[in-house]
Amino acid sequence: MPVFKTPFNGYSVKFSPFYENRLAVATSQNFGILGNGRIHVLDLTPAGPITELCSFDTADGVYDVTWSEDNDNLIVSAVADGSVKLWDLALPPTANPIRSLHEHTREVHSVDWNPVRRDSFLSSSWDDTSKLWTVDRPASVRTFKEHAYCVYSSVWNPRHADIFASASGDCTVRVWDVREPNSTMVLPAHEFEVLSCDWNKYDDCLIATASVDKSIKVWDVRNHRVPISVLNGHSYAVRKVKFSPHRDSLIASCSYDMTVCMWDYRVEDALIGRYDHHTEFAVGVDMSVLVEGLFASTGWDELVYVWQHGTDPRAP
Amino acid sequence: MAMRDLVTGGAACAVPGSSSSSSNPLGALASSLLGSSSKTQERLNELPGVTATTITGPDGGLYRSGGVDGQLSTLPGSEYDQQLQFHHPNAQHSQFLQGFRSGDQSGGFAEAWDDIQRPQFGEFDGRVGPPRVQPTWDGPPQRVLSTFLHSFVESSRAGIPLRPAMLPALGLSQGDKQCIRDRSTIMARHFFADKSDEFINSQVNTLLHSLDIDNDLRAKGQLPGRFREMEEYWNESQGPLRAGSAHAGDAWVAEYNQHVSSRTDPEAWAHSFEQQHGTNGWASEYQQEQSQMVSMSQIRGADLSNMAAREQTRMLAHTLAQNNDPKFQNSKFLQFVSKMSSGELIIDDNQVKPAGVSGEWANEYQQQYKGATSSWANQFVQEELSHGTDRWVNEFTTDPEQHGLVDNQWVNEFSKLNVQDWAEEFEHQVGNGVLGENSADNWANAYDEFLNEEVATKQRSDASRGVYVFSDMNPYVGHPNPLKEGQELFRRGLLSEAVLALEAEVLKNPDNAEGWRLLGITHAENDDDQQAIASMMRAQDVDPKNLEVLLALGVSHTNELEQAAALKYLYGWLQNHPKYGTIAPPERSNSLYYADVARLFNEAAQISPDDADVHIVLGVLYNLSREYDKAIGSFQTALKLKPRDYSLWNKLGATQANSVQSAEAISAYQQALDLKPNYVRAWANMGISFANQGLYEESIRYYVRALAMNPKADNAWQYLRISLSCASRNDMVEACDSRNLDVLQKEFPL
Repeated sequence: MPVFKTPFNGYSVKFSPFYENRLAVATSQNFGILGNGRIHVLDLTPAGPITELCSFDTADGVYDVTWSEDNDNLIVSAVADGSVKLWDLALPPTANPIRSLHEHTREVHSVDWNPVRRDSFLSSSWDDTSKLWTVDRPASVRTFKEHAYCVYSSVWNPRHADIFASASGDCTVRVWDVREPNSTMVLPAHEFEVLSCDWNKYDDCLIATASVDKSIKVWDVRNHRVPISVLNGHSYAVRKVKFSPHRDSLIASCSYDMTVCMWDYRVEDALIGRYDHHTEFAVGVDMSVLVEGLFASTGWDELVYVWQHGTDPRAP
Repeated sequence: MAMRDLVTGGAACAVPGSSSSSSNPLGALASSLLGSSSKTQERLNELPGVTATTITGPDGGLYRSGGVDGQLSTLPGSEYDQQLQFHHPNAQHSQFLQGFRSGDQSGGFAEAWDDIQRPQFGEFDGRVGPPRVQPTWDGPPQRVLSTFLHSFVESSRAGIPLRPAMLPALGLSQGDKQCIRDRSTIMARHFFADKSDEFINSQVNTLLHSLDIDNDLRAKGQLPGRFREMEEYWNESQGPLRAGSAHAGDAWVAEYNQHVSSRTDPEAWAHSFEQQHGTNGWASEYQQEQSQMVSMSQIRGADLSNMAAREQTRMLAHTLAQNNDPKFQNSKFLQFVSKMSSGELIIDDNQVKPAGVSGEWANEYQQQYKGATSSWANQFVQEELSHGTDRWVNEFTTDPEQHGLVDNQWVNEFSKLNVQDWAEEFEHQVGNGVLGENSADNWANAYDEFLNEEVATKQRSDASRGVYVFSDMNPYVGHPNPLKEGQELFRRGLLSEAVLALEAEVLKNPDNAEGWRLLGITHAENDDDQQAIASMMRAQDVDPKNLEVLLALGVSHTNELEQAAALKYLYGWLQNHPKYGTIAPPERSNSLYYADVARLFNEAAQISPDDADVHIVLGVLYNLSREYDKAIGSFQTALKLKPRDYSLWNKLGATQANSVQSAEAISAYQQALDLKPNYVRAWANMGISFANQGLYEESIRYYVRALAMNPKADNAWQYLRISLSCASRNDMVEACDSRNLDVLQKEFPL
């Protein structure tokens, strides 16, 4: 399956929810420690190479991107300088970004578009907060500040328009209802920093968390004393975790151990696939909503891989 | 060489109150972050205007949500947000947005907003009109030479010799430095979390260290580096202020500043040398002697934060390097980090550069300091700092751990500086002592020569000795209670770590005799009598009558075969002892003869035969006169009184080994190890005894074990190399030379 080389180190990859052959990649120079950033919008050509539709440059690393669920040309990016930038693919690079939202005081680490209401998105930052934004407002709608350390990711619940979860370096995951003044639940999910979380797409009460402790845990928010499942197998911190949009028990993860793993949290031998194609930390993984079994990953080896589950990502 | 084996006064090794100070490491981490990290510093409110002017306004729904009715519905929860800057007092919260969009309720506000946005509205409508001006990036301009960096990283894999670390020329903005520090800290934490307590603790200390450095810059309300103009203005205004301002809490900086009133150009070189190779040593002495000075201290603050960043990346690199996965070993990120940490890559003006490319260090130095160079060299030679040389060589030979293949390169480089003699001498010593030959006969000769030379050098250099050399980049500086930490580390046998913690303590409290004494004991147990003597001498400066210190100094000097000095301190011990002071008249202390001192101690032993310390001193004295049988007798007597003194068992073993009773020595060492399993020196001594019996395979195992506990013990590495040669294990010599403990431990399990 095809590969795309990015000039900078990959940080995140996301399939477009509108076009099955399109994806966006966030990259940062010098491993995101210092330098510029670039967002690539890539198109898969049938049985051909990956081509670049366009790219946007930023003056600091880009740590994450998300597609608008409402406008097929709109991308939101999380930039290390603390800004959230919006980009319109239909406009020339000179006319972009169409928004630069500066409220976070530290690196913005993730962005997530609301898939239910489709009018708003979340950003989460190393300034310990998450923020709720809409495209049309010049300032954030709301700031969620309860975490005591970096918030690494905030993700919307796929069913409930007002519910999201945030994963933080303070070792907790918090569940929020934006209609409520405070978080509705605190999940002390791991003994170590929680780097990522995601909701199950079929059971709106299930949440997966990924941690520096190398494990992934699956929780039922109705009974959060003990995890439903603990998935061990990564040998370094797990950087991202994602539930499959197609199979309710399938989880994808990527890790500083340079691998991308597939898990079925319900079976005993949960680790059902391990992809060893990256040669540096694997930090971005996504599953296509439109094509079942289509995966994308990126890492600090500056490569973006797209492959069908079960095939070798490196196979030509 | 076996004389080295004797170890300092055991009674002195008690570590009081060493209850564990490590609670939940992550809690400590979190609290340290919460308490003082820049990450949780006061939130900076956005500068007025920045947000508003960079936003392009909404138009008739192009980016509007597909929400109900095509009209943006109110987002629930917005009423909780305190940042609602556009709140209209009369409008219902839930109607706020409609109000905003239609303008019918919000009146003036909406109009004002429209005014602001008007110019862009037009362009958005229908997407026609002149192309907009490219938005100004609100970050640093795109300047990093990424391809350059990567090609450099690639080329370095091919084994191009690396240059020694040098301090970068600095052009980095405060914001960039903060970025590097904070980001590498946060990223590093993702790897560190499952490491051992002390690892995390030291990481936290590094963090605190770096925070100390930044205290003064944050106090001014640090800018996040995005607002370039203001930042430049700020830098400008801070420039003169920062010069010469000491960083609070950073004791050695303060000490340094005390020593150096002002600075001169050649001195800057010495200074940068010092940062590489130790805080004190001859460099700072040299500084004191230079009096024509120009202020250059603004280099300092920046250097320090750079050091801190490097320290962090060094730790990160270290962790990563422990992973045996070849994939990790080939990781470009790993190489990048390790290059940053060793100073090979420098960050200069927001560009990542290989060190040495931007400015040929040697050339630059020669050009700028031509005159000073030779005068420095002369002075260096004149002063016969042979001890300094020796130490420096030692230090340098330990450096390959960090700097890889630099030796020759650096020697060449250095020889350009007209210090030919020194370089040759250095090469000579390296040739003899470290590189050696493979044949057993050759090595034996060469090694004996080396040892003799070493001993001779040491004896010659009595006068210049006693300068304590601090480690550079000490993560415990800034630790709230380094003494306690040091005691705890000592108790756990982590001697190298304990040294760092105790160094931090004596930097903080230079008058703490106990800190110096413990530091000396730690060095002695760690098989470094030179440093042990230096720190004990500092302890003695503070507290001239401390018996433990005097005893320890006597023992260490005995280990170094320095009879006169040893006698002086042992006599001092007698003089200051409440019980024996009377039999040691002070006027005698100027002309001490061995026989007299030995006689006095025998008298003392008769006065109180139950004083183990007297017997210990006697044992040490007999070692000095090589009357090993008597020495063994004295130690055995002492052991009857103090059977649980592990260092006493070690002394007995060492003495037995010296008198060719290696088998007995081993059982004595075994006693010591039973009492203190992490007693590095006893493990190494055990190896020596096996080697003396020709049991090289066995000796290797013990050396490897000792080295696993203290990889910095250069003596033990040399012994190991010898045993490997003798055991015809030349296949492992390479692992020994590269100090690859993993391979060695696998090959020689104990």
